[in-house]
Amino acid sequence: MARWGMVIDLDRCTGCAACEVACKSENNIAPVSAGEADMGRATSWMKVMAQVEGEFPDTTMHFYPRPCMHCDNPPCIRVCPVQATYINDEGVVGQIYSRCIGCRYCANACPYMVKYFNWYGPEWAQSERNHLNPDVSVRPAGVIEKCTFCHHRLQKAREDARAEERELREEDYQPACADICPTGAIVFGDLDDPSHRVYSLKEDPRALRIMEDLGTQPKVYYLRPRE
Amino acid sequence: MSPSRRDFLWTMGAAAATVALKGTQDVFWSSEELADPGWAPGIEDRRNSACLICPSRCGIRSRQVDGRLVRIDGNPLHPLSRGGLCPRGVAGVQMLYHPERLDAPLVRNGPRGSGQWERVTREQAIARIAERLGGLREAGRPEALALLAGYSAGTMQDLWRQFLASFGSPNYVADEYDDGTEAVMALMHGIPRRPSYDLDRARLVLSFGAPLFESWWSPLQAFVAFANPDDEGDGGPRYIQVDTRFSRTAARTHEWVGVRPGTHAVLALGIAYVLIRDELFDAGFVARHVAGFEDFVDEQGQPREGYRSLVMRNYRTEEVSAITGVPVARITALARAIAANRPAVAVCGTDVTLAPNGLLAGLAVHSINVLMGSVNRPGGVLFGEDAPITALGSPVLDEIARQGVSRQPIGVSPSPFASGGQALRFAEIVARSEAPVDTLLLYYANPIASSTHPSVWRETLDKIPFLVSFSPFLDETSEYADVILPDLLPYERWQDAPAPVSYPYPVWGVARPLVEPHEGATHTGDAVLALARSLGGSLAESLPYESFEGLLEERAKGLYAVRRGMTLGGHFERTHHRQMEERGWWLPEHTGFEAFWEELVERGGWTDLFYDHTDPHRLARTDSGRIELMPAALLRVLDQAESVGALYLDIESEATGERPEDHELRLLPYRVSTLASGTLALERWLAEQPGIFPDVLWHPWIEVAPETAGTLGLGDGTDVWVVSPRGRYRARLKVSPGTAPETACAPYGLRHPDGQIANPLQLLDGSSDPLTGLPSWSSTFIRLERA
Repeated sequence: MARWGMVIDLDRCTGCAACEVACKSENNIAPVSAGEADMGRATSWMKVMAQVEGEFPDTTMHFYPRPCMHCDNPPCIRVCPVQATYINDEGVVGQIYSRCIGCRYCANACPYMVKYFNWYGPEWAQSERNHLNPDVSVRPAGVIEKCTFCHHRLQKAREDARAEERELREEDYQPACADICPTGAIVFGDLDDPSHRVYSLKEDPRALRIMEDLGTQPKVYYLRPRE
Repeated sequence: MSPSRRDFLWTMGAAAATVALKGTQDVFWSSEELADPGWAPGIEDRRNSACLICPSRCGIRSRQVDGRLVRIDGNPLHPLSRGGLCPRGVAGVQMLYHPERLDAPLVRNGPRGSGQWERVTREQAIARIAERLGGLREAGRPEALALLAGYSAGTMQDLWRQFLASFGSPNYVADEYDDGTEAVMALMHGIPRRPSYDLDRARLVLSFGAPLFESWWSPLQAFVAFANPDDEGDGGPRYIQVDTRFSRTAARTHEWVGVRPGTHAVLALGIAYVLIRDELFDAGFVARHVAGFEDFVDEQGQPREGYRSLVMRNYRTEEVSAITGVPVARITALARAIAANRPAVAVCGTDVTLAPNGLLAGLAVHSINVLMGSVNRPGGVLFGEDAPITALGSPVLDEIARQGVSRQPIGVSPSPFASGGQALRFAEIVARSEAPVDTLLLYYANPIASSTHPSVWRETLDKIPFLVSFSPFLDETSEYADVILPDLLPYERWQDAPAPVSYPYPVWGVARPLVEPHEGATHTGDAVLALARSLGGSLAESLPYESFEGLLEERAKGLYAVRRGMTLGGHFERTHHRQMEERGWWLPEHTGFEAFWEELVERGGWTDLFYDHTDPHRLARTDSGRIELMPAALLRVLDQAESVGALYLDIESEATGERPEDHELRLLPYRVSTLASGTLALERWLAEQPGIFPDVLWHPWIEVAPETAGTLGLGDGTDVWVVSPRGRYRARLKVSPGTAPETACAPYGLRHPDGQIANPLQLLDGSSDPLTGLPSWSSTFIRLERA
């Protein structure tokens, strides 16, 4: 059984945010108005965060792309009263929109703040509906949504592999963010499969996980900057 | 309509049912379409093409479902972008399906700017334009036609030039970004071409104010070299950014050297001082290929100081440190790093060249490359070439055209070394009624939003009786138009996409329609060909092409005939071809032109990754055959015009314009990666990710240092007016610790949520470099007021 995870090399990340926009395009994430954005209601399953230290001219800044950490011990599923959020056998933390009652307990329980509530239904102009990805449902108002590691791509990749009667390869299943990254900073794969790059990268001395001490056991690793 | 929960549940059930239908074909479901009766599985298609959004012209790979473009990825075969893409490229689907795109040609039906339009057919619009243009030629004044064109390198530019020439107009007015480096190369090397940078093979990249990771000619070129994805190790050069602004590039390169505003070039010569003093420069290269290093006797027989004397006398590290604010030890360390990591290349950016003495500063920065011998060598500055596509041929000129093109183009620069700022001079001359322009064509130009002088442009447009816009959106300038013939959007049209000059190798990308073109829009290339046909005579003879697509195919025949290069291919193919060509081999891979063209389009373009480093014509084409550190042509001009300054001496950019007492912040406008010029509509995904601050969404902002904000008593997120003697605009204050004190950094090209443009350039003090005509972006002072 695979255990999907991600390693993000902060030395390679230039903060360009292609991952962020690629995620929005892949997962039909509806933009909100400027007023809603001011209230912190913009949704970005993948969000490029920035950390600044020091003042001119001795400033340093690091960008870290932040998807859902897909914890092995996710705090969000413990608080969900209706089991709308769950972790599957392969370690992907998912959200069943039709079950979600919009209580937002999970969003509050998540220390990484990667669960987003739909205050309104998605607003797409008629013409914009053309670019929606048919593999991913749009979310109604009143439910929580989150990064799925582009799980729909896995389903498709599995079907393709089965049709071609072969094993699933590493490159068959890559989420949109890893796919687009121009510097190859985001690496995705099976953490338990020695043939996948993430298997060895996660053992790198630079590897760390955010807020590991909470016992959440995240499956997203960061390679900390060298200097 | 957003689906209700009930729809959604129903969808899930139906989706489960469709799984059984799935065979080997790519089929899937859509929650939306399932609700419609008659739903059928979607057919998926992927095609390679090229991105046309910025000058980088990266390779893209599309995903269409049932003829709808649902996703844009990178094309892994493209040698420049190698499968990566920037957020603007990815968000292209939002431009294609933008709700505000014009869906029919429009003719003005009321006073200008009243917003009253009549929808017409394509044929009617073209006939209307042809009638006006035909009238101009009949009246014998074809020079009254002008074109204002944004960045359109490739066949569209060639087509426009051919059209104007055979029509009889000399007025191709470029309204595009110019970084002034072409003049630097022309003077030092005798090669009037912007430099190419071999970032892939450099070991150290020293960027002087070039926004490599943001809005450079090709951020992807910089990304790919930075990360070196083809290399298994941790390769990639060390990047050092010399910049006043703590930009995203400064934040993510290996080292940031924060300098005081306008002192980049001083630091460059401080580094040169250490290189010479410690004998770290490439003395052999300088002795063989460089003139003007040592003292010399000039054309008049006067003895003159050479580069070495000027630098050694004026740029002692202590003095440079006092001017730039960079400690002496750091300057020495930078010079040693350059010497220890060869090949090292210095990249000259707009923060250096868009200044009152930008040309002199640019020469100072490039002199480091000359000292280190980083010219025409792997990992240095190269002089690439354009893809050898078939030329359009000389335009056929009849008597009217011959008279027209012999006239002086409007707004051509009085500056001796470049023609920067032509668009603004054109506008000023027309506004003063000194040159009657009857018809102005606008092609990817929106000066009302992007110019440093929108008010001048408004007057200019009032003076021009007939305005034609080819913009796909009703932008600020198109609102004044008499006829709008909206262009097809990228992803709907054929266009060639040559890589920018910053990339050393020719790449001729081809963008092709990925979706069915919109009925109400017209390919501007086809419109130009139709106009030529309709006007007949010399125009029809000069442009005998059926369609723009046919013209592209015609041009590709040059690539087929040249017997080198390859259609785009993967890492192995690229390496194989390069190694073959290095050894003088080339193997034909196609049975004929048609197969070649088919594969070229299929793969997304053509490239030739071989560069001949032994060619002396790529080092210097000056009279002496050497690189001129003290170019005689420049010295002549500098001797006559004493106010300009002296070579390697007056290179600090200081405020020149009027500076009122309370204007204490130096304005540093910069272009953000997500929107660079204001010619395109607001894409909502990009509005949510505009720059480097995760908490600044949607609103245009201005960055100041914490102590500046404290002194002004303004907090983070306050709405402020940015005020200069020339005007003001609204922005949101962003307190950023990396910002230099006494500066304010303002992104350019952003819009407010209501679509209003926030243009810091309209505050600039209007000064420019007399040698190149390029505007100064860094010499204006502003103040902030609470809005």
